[in-house]
Amino acid sequence: MTPALSIVNLRKVYRRGTVAVDGLSMTVNPGDFFGFLGPNGAGKSTTLHCVTGIATVTSGTIEVFGFDAVKQYRDARRLIGLSPQEFNVDIFATPRQIVDWMGGYFGLGAAERKRRVDELMERFDLVEHQKKPFRELSGGLKRRVILARALVHQPKLLILDEPTAGVDVELRLDLWRYLAELNRDGTTILLTSHYLEEVERLCRTIAIVSRGKIVRNGPKEEFLAGGLESAYLAATGARPEHIAGAAA
Amino acid sequence: MIVNWIGLWTIIRREISRLMRVPVQAFVAPWVSALLFIFIFGSVVGPRIASIGGHRYLEFVLPGILMLNIINAAFLQASTQVYFQRFMRSVEEVLVAPLSYAEMIAGTLVTVVFRTVGTALGILVIAALFGVTHVDAIGEFLFWVVIVSAIFGLIGIVIGLWAKSFEQLTVLNIFFITPLSFVGGVFNTVDMLPPGVRWLAYGNPFFYFINGLRHSMIGFGEASEPLGAVISLVLLAALAVAVWRLFSKGYGLRE
Repeated sequence: MTPALSIVNLRKVYRRGTVAVDGLSMTVNPGDFFGFLGPNGAGKSTTLHCVTGIATVTSGTIEVFGFDAVKQYRDARRLIGLSPQEFNVDIFATPRQIVDWMGGYFGLGAAERKRRVDELMERFDLVEHQKKPFRELSGGLKRRVILARALVHQPKLLILDEPTAGVDVELRLDLWRYLAELNRDGTTILLTSHYLEEVERLCRTIAIVSRGKIVRNGPKEEFLAGGLESAYLAATGARPEHIAGAAA
Repeated sequence: MIVNWIGLWTIIRREISRLMRVPVQAFVAPWVSALLFIFIFGSVVGPRIASIGGHRYLEFVLPGILMLNIINAAFLQASTQVYFQRFMRSVEEVLVAPLSYAEMIAGTLVTVVFRTVGTALGILVIAALFGVTHVDAIGEFLFWVVIVSAIFGLIGIVIGLWAKSFEQLTVLNIFFITPLSFVGGVFNTVDMLPPGVRWLAYGNPFFYFINGLRHSMIGFGEASEPLGAVISLVLLAALAVAVWRLFSKGYGLRE
């Protein structure tokens, strides 16, 4: 079975010499809901940027459904949808334009684009906001636009980099339901989040990254025995009693 | 490799949409500036200057004014387009999509030509009101408009990739483009320059651009047009390769 995502010995060194990812390897199986956890600066976003082409790869290989993400980047990127942590859009454009343009970049024809944009505006409750400039939207609405944009071309691998950061409880629950539905329909999802509850509820496989390396990887059940939070803190090198002590 | 035509067209329509958000800055400003030049040279200064090669001074100077505006429009369009996308990080939308570097560059250049042609048409309409719009050789005229637009579009892309601030975007325009345009024969023939500085014209590619456009419009030339065309094509090819290399390395684009 060809993995949805295979990363082997990925290394990313920035121009100033910072080693962001240091020999990271992991595999995401097709249809999985994969939680990718780690502290800030551990290399999660950099890894995702290397997968999607936002960052160059220093060494190592990345394959998306068997396509090399560097040598066969067009085939690989066609299969990926990315919802990044930062709002990387033209803030003067409208939600409708943003989603429509992304559909265009992925080669969707005018009729199909219109159908998909209408569907997504409806699905994410953006209809009444679809012609307002992005910069005038609330944080939650902006996050919905970014998600709609990631989904316009119906990717086989959906990468979500902290998709619920800064959104209210209602939207978060709605989003969880929607992601679970997408995953049931066959979309492979790779999720990074600092909300362990979110990961525990949605993911089937979890990998923890620390200092640019995978330090623990396996089915969710393996992490739940002693609690996901303890497993996470132990894997990243922080000890719960120290954190509790500091808080006291 | 199969061209992603829809993706390419999307880059073009996105940039045209962005351009149409600032029509005053993009089109009206150069038209007003050209109108002032045409008025001063046509009705104030021009009548006091003897004809040049049998042409009224305004007829002589119009191709230079046109070329100045084409160069500015091309450079500003490409440099701000690239820099704006980097600044907003919206360039990442294109980077994650199945688009080749050639498609990204071509999309930018088509928008550049759209803006320069729009600017040039407006100036020609204004000049027609003063009775001076002549285009003797339309093919040659279009060649110069398109090739100069592409050259300065590519230079604009390089600056857009390099700039770290809005101020840096203007550096090339202030210290390179404007001075070379002015000594490239916009307002005068080479003969009018002191003999000691005539090399500033002959060694200046801007002189050949203006000379070519002027020849296509009024049939007046001071240098070989084929030589100018060769210089321009070589420059275009060199810049295209350089820009493609920068894109393929991810310079200014990828982390």
